[in-house]
Amino acid sequence: MIGVARRPVRFGVIVFPGSNCDSDCYHVAANVLGEKGEYVWHGRTDLGGLDCLILPGGFSYGDYLRTGAIARFSPVMAEVARFAGAGGLVIGICNGFQILLEAGLLPGAMLRNQSLQFRCQYTHLRVENAGTPFTRQCRPGQVLRLPIAHAEGNYTAPPQTLAELEREGRVVLRYVDEAGEPTAEANPNGSAANIAGIVNRGGNVFGLMPHPERCAEEVLGSTDGRLIFDSIVAHVR
Amino acid sequence: MTLPAWAASILLTIALFEAGGGRVEARRTRLHEGKAKIVWDAGDPDSYAMEYKDDATAFDGAKRGRIGGKGNCNNLISAVLFALLEREGVPTHYLGTLGDHEMRVRRLTIVPVEVVVRNVAAGSLAKRLGLAEGTPLTRPVLELYYKSDPLGDPMVNRYHVAAMGWASEAEMDRIESLALRVNGILGRALSDCGLRLIDFKLEFGRTPSGDMVLGDEISPDTCRLWDTTTSEKLDKDRFRRDLGGVEEAYQEVLRRVRAAAPKWRGEGQGAAASAAAVPAIAHVHVYVTPKRTVLDPQGVAVENALKTMGYGEVRSVRVGKFIVLELAEADLPSSGGPQAGPTAAERLRRRVDDMCRKLLSNPVIEDYRLDILPPGRAE
Repeated sequence: MIGVARRPVRFGVIVFPGSNCDSDCYHVAANVLGEKGEYVWHGRTDLGGLDCLILPGGFSYGDYLRTGAIARFSPVMAEVARFAGAGGLVIGICNGFQILLEAGLLPGAMLRNQSLQFRCQYTHLRVENAGTPFTRQCRPGQVLRLPIAHAEGNYTAPPQTLAELEREGRVVLRYVDEAGEPTAEANPNGSAANIAGIVNRGGNVFGLMPHPERCAEEVLGSTDGRLIFDSIVAHVR
Repeated sequence: MTLPAWAASILLTIALFEAGGGRVEARRTRLHEGKAKIVWDAGDPDSYAMEYKDDATAFDGAKRGRIGGKGNCNNLISAVLFALLEREGVPTHYLGTLGDHEMRVRRLTIVPVEVVVRNVAAGSLAKRLGLAEGTPLTRPVLELYYKSDPLGDPMVNRYHVAAMGWASEAEMDRIESLALRVNGILGRALSDCGLRLIDFKLEFGRTPSGDMVLGDEISPDTCRLWDTTTSEKLDKDRFRRDLGGVEEAYQEVLRRVRAAAPKWRGEGQGAAASAAAVPAIAHVHVYVTPKRTVLDPQGVAVENALKTMGYGEVRSVRVGKFIVLELAEADLPSSGGPQAGPTAAERLRRRVDDMCRKLLSNPVIEDYRLDILPPGRAE
């Protein structure tokens, strides 16, 4: 591959007031992967030329009312919906996942963690679907080690929706123990069916609570997160 | 595990659709046709069109006929009375008339329990208890009937309602308190028209957000109305008992109700009549609570704390949000239509309802309720 001039994959990192993982995402895209990163302010309404949008973690609009509830009405979100509708790749991490739920780009909603505690820890996650643009570099059933940091990750949805997600292979990541079993103890927030990440029906919108951008380099203790970004790059190429 | 309300609503919508055969006429679908009304789906996600027919039936369909002009009368009488109840703070499904025979109504999941309120012994009560028709009751009597044509709408009580899962205890409390409030409001208002409210039937339904709202109709088909001075019957008993003058009775009730309507709207007591319902700055309280079908971790934690403190009687705690809104009446978008559109109070309620659905609550996990404070109760 070396020596072949390629167009870099262009990641757009959306910045809401209160986002705080935007720099980490940009850093992985531009410095770790060597692709192109670009900050996209929440007031922007032109997303031309981008290959993948990242809705980063943080506390957009102070998490007021409900996590993600106000961010979804930012001007940029109508464009994100259009971008996703046209098949563009969108990944929402943590608060980004919450925003995608509020915006209706993914089904379901977040409740407060069952423990009522803010959980900041490493978790084990089983790749339930290695066929998505976000997991194609993973092995089916591979157990990843990724950190979480949230108070509202207790995913819930009506029973029909949960059944549909399972049936259509749209549960992408599930909290498991080290052995790969989805036990109650391995579930850090009480989410339905240990769900940690789901995709939309088109497979091009991905929401997950763990932070792959926080573990994409050796120096940070794990490189499992890089598999998610490498998958996106491989898919775009 | 009980079926969540939203799931029941989806199921019922489908059931109605199939029962009506899903016939599409003039780009709208006949969802349901009953003995006296047809419910149409014209594609609006929030409302249906309800058409009043001239067909008349009595004794659970055993007697059939036609009353000329009845559909028109019942539509317009119901419209005036629903608007009156809305102004008095009773939530109804009424959203406005659509011509002479139809009204636009909110989409509801109807609770299959008919509520009858009686002030004076008549009809089946007189027969059952051996009372002379016209005997005043010392307090209003509330009866429940299971809505079922094949079974002939059998009388039931709250134990049946709970056991069959037709409505929750809390919902029945709400239904009964609304029914008695409706009795008070209608009884007073109709006496202005020289009409005695002998008894009447109500139906209730749930909105998609789970609020209990008055549905169906309020007309001489569903109320016994006697002239205050002559005790002449001005309702469907004229048809049931072949008393003659059926059409005239319906027309007479419409005439009287229409004549009193401006007074009920507060007109004639000053120019700022209907604006009086909404002050310049309206105060609205919005309550958002976690749905009963989802776990509320905060509520559970608070419940456990209360029990630890010795409050062993606590059975359930749900923690929600209380939002206070102030809205400028002058800035409400106008209804647009040239003729009698929704009142300012109705437009205000719909605006806030919209806010609740779009932002203030998340319908996947939360219910909401809103209170528009009467003028002077702002603080």
